[in-house]
Amino acid sequence: MRHSLSIAALTLSLAFAATQAVASVSPVTTTQSVTVNGSVAEVCVLGSPNPPSIDLGQMAATSGERVGKLGTISDHSVNLPDAFCNYPGTQISVAATALVEQDESTTPSGFSKAVNFTANVSGWTSSAASVTTAAAADGSNATSHSAGAEENAPQTANLTLTLTNFTAPGDGVLVAGSYNGLVTITLGPDGGN
Amino acid sequence: MKRNILLTAGVLALGLFSAEAAVAQSSNTSTGSVTVNGFVALRCSFTSENVVLNIGEMAIQSGSSSTLGAYDHTKLDGLSTQLDGLCNGAGSTMTVQAFPMLNTAFTSAPPSGFDNRVDYTATATENSVSATATSTSATPGAPVTVGDFSNAITVNFSNSATPGGGKMVAGPYTGSVNVTLTPST
Repeated sequence: MRHSLSIAALTLSLAFAATQAVASVSPVTTTQSVTVNGSVAEVCVLGSPNPPSIDLGQMAATSGERVGKLGTISDHSVNLPDAFCNYPGTQISVAATALVEQDESTTPSGFSKAVNFTANVSGWTSSAASVTTAAAADGSNATSHSAGAEENAPQTANLTLTLTNFTAPGDGVLVAGSYNGLVTITLGPDGGN
Repeated sequence: MKRNILLTAGVLALGLFSAEAAVAQSSNTSTGSVTVNGFVALRCSFTSENVVLNIGEMAIQSGSSSTLGAYDHTKLDGLSTQLDGLCNGAGSTMTVQAFPMLNTAFTSAPPSGFDNRVDYTATATENSVSATATSTSATPGAPVTVGDFSNAITVNFSNSATPGGGKMVAGPYTGSVNVTLTPST
């Protein structure tokens, strides 16, 4: 009889322990994650210039006191729409090459085969990027560079190139022929220089 | 030979003693029981590792000026992966919380015309039961009952877009989806 009582007591004890264990375990919530990584590369874009070229026509005066010398050339503008950089720290740089007559190999004294001008690019920062060519009468040293201020944020803008201040070195008589100049605008880190 | 005889005698003696004891007990039967109890706690768990998806360049690289540099939604929409999980309670639920993809290098407000955030909808599906969440909301989506199961949970991405439809600010982007399983009876 004593043997039976002790077994029953053990049974109760086991049941109590199991009940205690169930009560002390709370449901386990679990979380797992899916991480998505991507990137966007640094890029700057300049829209196509409009118009893409400028024809100044007859540049020399054909009558009056300045006949044969550079006549009055009006300012010209070119639009560069939809320019943007998607990162900070960018600037505009401008490389301008004076209009130079391409055929004559020599330049007699009192003549000029170059026409200088100022190229001004506005719209990227509050101050425009501007450069004035300084070609010699013989057309040498035709290209000049300049960089604008740094833009400290990603930006979209419509840029405007303005060509002004046309002059001939020494105000010489312009050599007859075809003159070609060029303006290269670069948008990027440190102006792309 | 002598050892064998002694062992045989020992076996017989034990047998006789046991039989005698059994006969004595049958006259006064007493039964004791041993109950064995156990339990299985309510539980949900994942049996796979966390997942990392790399979608690479996220901006449109060519085309018209209006879309050039903007977010390319095809990079994330339709993307899916799987998490292996289990729950052992019939009332177990699943919830999803989506965190937007943010530019971790350019964290200030983007300039006009730019975005540095991608929002999306994340959907977790287990046995045709789906829980969803959008990253535009800071709170998890509504829980759905998945019951007791043990198989793959598919996580799918859709409806991704930037807040303003602008161009993307350059830099690294990261976002995440949390899938939570809560056990219940």
